[in-house]
Amino acid sequence: MSISAPRYVQGSVPRVGRPSRVLAIVEREFRRRATWGPIFAVALTWFIVVLEVVVTVYFATVIGGSVSAAFESPYGSVIWVLLLLIVTATVGAGSLADDIGSRAITLYLSRPLRISDYLGAKASAVGAWLVIAGVGPGCVAAAVTAALGYVSVSEALAAAAGCVAVGLVLAIFFTGIALALSSLTRKSLYAGVAIFGTVLSVTVSVGVVWGITGNGTLLYADLLADVQSIAEAAFGQPSPYPTDPVASAIVLVLTGCVLALLAWWRLSRIEVVGE
Amino acid sequence: MTGVVDAETVTKRYGEVLGLNGFSATFGAGITGLVGPNGAGKSTLFRLLAGQLKPDAGRLTLLGHPSWGPGEFRRRVGYCPESPALFDWMTGNDFVTTLLRVDGFSRSEAAERSARAVAEVDLTQDGNRRLRVYSKGMRQRVKIAQCIAHDPELILLDEPLNGVDPVGRASLSALMRRLGSAGRQIIVSSHVLYEVERLTDQIVMIANGQAIAQGDLHRIRDLIDSHPHVIDLESADPRALGRALGAWDHVVSIEFPEPGRLRVLTRSPDTFYAALPELVLTEGLSVRAVRSADDNLDAVFRYLAEGRR
Repeated sequence: MSISAPRYVQGSVPRVGRPSRVLAIVEREFRRRATWGPIFAVALTWFIVVLEVVVTVYFATVIGGSVSAAFESPYGSVIWVLLLLIVTATVGAGSLADDIGSRAITLYLSRPLRISDYLGAKASAVGAWLVIAGVGPGCVAAAVTAALGYVSVSEALAAAAGCVAVGLVLAIFFTGIALALSSLTRKSLYAGVAIFGTVLSVTVSVGVVWGITGNGTLLYADLLADVQSIAEAAFGQPSPYPTDPVASAIVLVLTGCVLALLAWWRLSRIEVVGE
Repeated sequence: MTGVVDAETVTKRYGEVLGLNGFSATFGAGITGLVGPNGAGKSTLFRLLAGQLKPDAGRLTLLGHPSWGPGEFRRRVGYCPESPALFDWMTGNDFVTTLLRVDGFSRSEAAERSARAVAEVDLTQDGNRRLRVYSKGMRQRVKIAQCIAHDPELILLDEPLNGVDPVGRASLSALMRRLGSAGRQIIVSSHVLYEVERLTDQIVMIANGQAIAQGDLHRIRDLIDSHPHVIDLESADPRALGRALGAWDHVVSIEFPEPGRLRVLTRSPDTFYAALPELVLTEGLSVRAVRSADDNLDAVFRYLAEGRR
């Protein structure tokens, strides 16, 4: 007779698929970012956009102005882009940097999870916040104006579609920026500053160079010009810029995707080294 | 090699610094202790096994799979990192449940398993508190909970008792022994050697990034017989005792570290212990206490590490 030590074999337990596993991270990450900073930034965006749209649409109907232009008014302004930039910095800066910096990323990546799953979850959480801030208030404002009888339902639906188009494009772009810059550092503060610094410095410097050279192609690198161009087209308004709105949208979406790829490349090479 | 974990000349560099330097060892079934001082390469080996570091050279497999990169086999592995970093905004229950869901358990199954694992590490009462308010010991316990909650075959515990209070240590040690006797393969690291000694006889000793010995602790103990063994004695007349002991061939040196004490270095501790009573009786010498300064893993490690230099 021989005696041997028992050897445990893990029993078969039905496991859910990758999307459900990713959803667990999305839920946690989304809730994690629900702190005063992002909530205040999102609330402020909602307040400004809804108020501006409702008031301008009201006056447009009273004095007989363009309702589409009234719906478009917040999206052509610097303030809206700036507010979304604040949401991006407060929500997205720490999305990867916090996990890398604390090495808590180990707890996720030592599990049956691909880096693309992890990154997709983080992107979804950041993107969800940006969609709430960027798309939500425009749609609500359109619904409110329709409910108040300022516009017809079809006009409100068209305006909501315009809000979705502009908001989604900017959400993709900002999500890409947040992931890329957050993956490059272990401190969310640095990533937040980098998000602001990169967007503002590129926008300002391109604007200055365009003013000097008059080269319209440069405007595709100007975030404000791109957003305004897309917004004017989405709401059927003439654009003050010589750029093609479709090309502007493609530039922003592609840039967002390339930056997300950069974050993936960075994560796939990252090694979690201790103190 | 066909162990649960096989390492063949694994090397890992951090720039100029060598984390592992041609580390070779096989970790078999049951509990195996990975023993070595701080900076020996224990955590580097664990991070390699967890897939967080890529070996620069050599071959490292766990459960038959290469250590680097993702894979479904990782759900058969539980990893408790040394780092105290957790998701501080979560509660203990949320933390374990979330990681179980990432492992692929449904929401309800994850909640059920989480409650069981949290209870196993005696954290049920604190399960709904946020991790940011947890003490170091509680953080260690919740890390162990997430590590065992999915019933892994292979459990990697990097310094699991670090910072845990004595009562917690006893209960976690008992938990590890329970898991080990249920057939789980456990690799547990520690620089506090008596902790490992109480858990298992199977050890791998690591120093300067290399495995300097592996196998049964008592066999490793035999390896050091050729080295001088330190024995401390207390006596009313240490000088007389020293004179008598100095006549023995296997006694290498005798010191008097403080009044009433004698420190003897012998090449043959067994002969020493066998002959001492007779010497005391025949010569009428006084011996109040005999203590082996080397009767623990610390000394084994010291001898082996020094022997390789």
